[in-house]
Amino acid sequence: MTVTHHPPENLLAGFASGLLEEAEHLVVGVHVAGCPGCRRFLHAIEQLAGTAIEEAAPVPMSEDAFDLVMAHVREMPPTGAPRPAPVRTVWPAPGRQDLPELLRRYRLGKRRRVAPGVSVQPIELSGSGKARAFLLQSAPGTRMLEHTHSGTELTCVLEGSFSHDAGRYGPGDFDYGDDDIDHRPVVGDEGPCLCLVAMTGDLRMNGFLGRLISPFVRL
Amino acid sequence: MIAAIRISRLPIRADVGLPRSREARLSIGTSRRLKAKVDWADLVGRVASSGNREAFKSLFEHFAPRVKGFMLKAGCSADEAEDIAQNTLIAVWRKAGQFDPASTGAAAWIFTIARNLRIDLLRRTARVSRLESKEMLAADPDSADSAEVVVSRVEDTARVRGAIERLSSEQSRVIRLSFIEERPHPEIANLLGIPLGTVKSRIRLAMNRLRDLLDEEQ
Repeated sequence: MTVTHHPPENLLAGFASGLLEEAEHLVVGVHVAGCPGCRRFLHAIEQLAGTAIEEAAPVPMSEDAFDLVMAHVREMPPTGAPRPAPVRTVWPAPGRQDLPELLRRYRLGKRRRVAPGVSVQPIELSGSGKARAFLLQSAPGTRMLEHTHSGTELTCVLEGSFSHDAGRYGPGDFDYGDDDIDHRPVVGDEGPCLCLVAMTGDLRMNGFLGRLISPFVRL
Repeated sequence: MIAAIRISRLPIRADVGLPRSREARLSIGTSRRLKAKVDWADLVGRVASSGNREAFKSLFEHFAPRVKGFMLKAGCSADEAEDIAQNTLIAVWRKAGQFDPASTGAAAWIFTIARNLRIDLLRRTARVSRLESKEMLAADPDSADSAEVVVSRVEDTARVRGAIERLSSEQSRVIRLSFIEERPHPEIANLLGIPLGTVKSRIRLAMNRLRDLLDEEQ
């Protein structure tokens, strides 16, 4: 099975330039680790960024900068460590209990139930951005309430699947939602669905039931 | 007064039309010409193989002020930009053996180092100000930045290189200005000498073209 839904180009370029918030950077990174096509795109952006460095207007360094750098450098021989092994994810990863490597570098908070069949587990970030990241687990066949976003929502499926107007999303697939999108995902019947989500703003539940429970959902 | 003149010079030159825009369009050609004069990849190689100080000094003098300039434009403070530029060059020395000229250009490699240092700096600052008492995560900057590097490392570098070479210089410039330097659309319109209303579609076209070139079977 191949990954069919990818991040929009501006998010990939933001990732390559290091301009995304930490939560978003993480979700895009987990997708990219399992997607050769997006890796090629990132690599291309990095090459173009090299040209941007070449053409950046030089700004003089402080007078002692070179000496400071040489003082550091004198202590250590060049070459040094070998190149680290690439981080890769192969989708799907059936029966895998472990999380993608990028995610394993983070500490997870306490998992809590937020609605019937739905639980979230926050990911502890450095706090440098406004977006939050969490794991969202939903029982098979869960029909998420119709909702819109006050900010943006980036999702990478880790396990299982969900579907909405734009198609079916399986392991490795990336979904992007903002305040224009009003959707109602349904979790596939084949098993629980585990997603990695980065979110700014809040979810807004639509409909009577949604408004009734949204104060308690606190997603 | 001198500073004011310096600042105002660039935009004025950008407006001058043909001579400037021809020079500006040659983004990739220019860097190739520069490489013909100084082979930066070769200098990194000499640092890696023999710890050559002269080679390193040339790399420092060329790239440190440019990394600093790039970071300032990207919104870093002067101290942060100086710090990132110094640390980038320290990493260039230390990681010279990891540089693979077959898969990436020297400037792109240096860019990824600087980018990772900036990401790391942002997160460390946030962590320190937020959790003074709690245990620090990822105190080693090497472990913090390696994940980012290895994710974007690519298997089929020839295909990427081919795609970039076939991208028109205007298209590569549009992508750079909008996504890497994050210039506002009016400024892009001004730099490229095109109507503001067409900037969005030019960006779209350039992105689609890059995608298509990358996806093409070779």
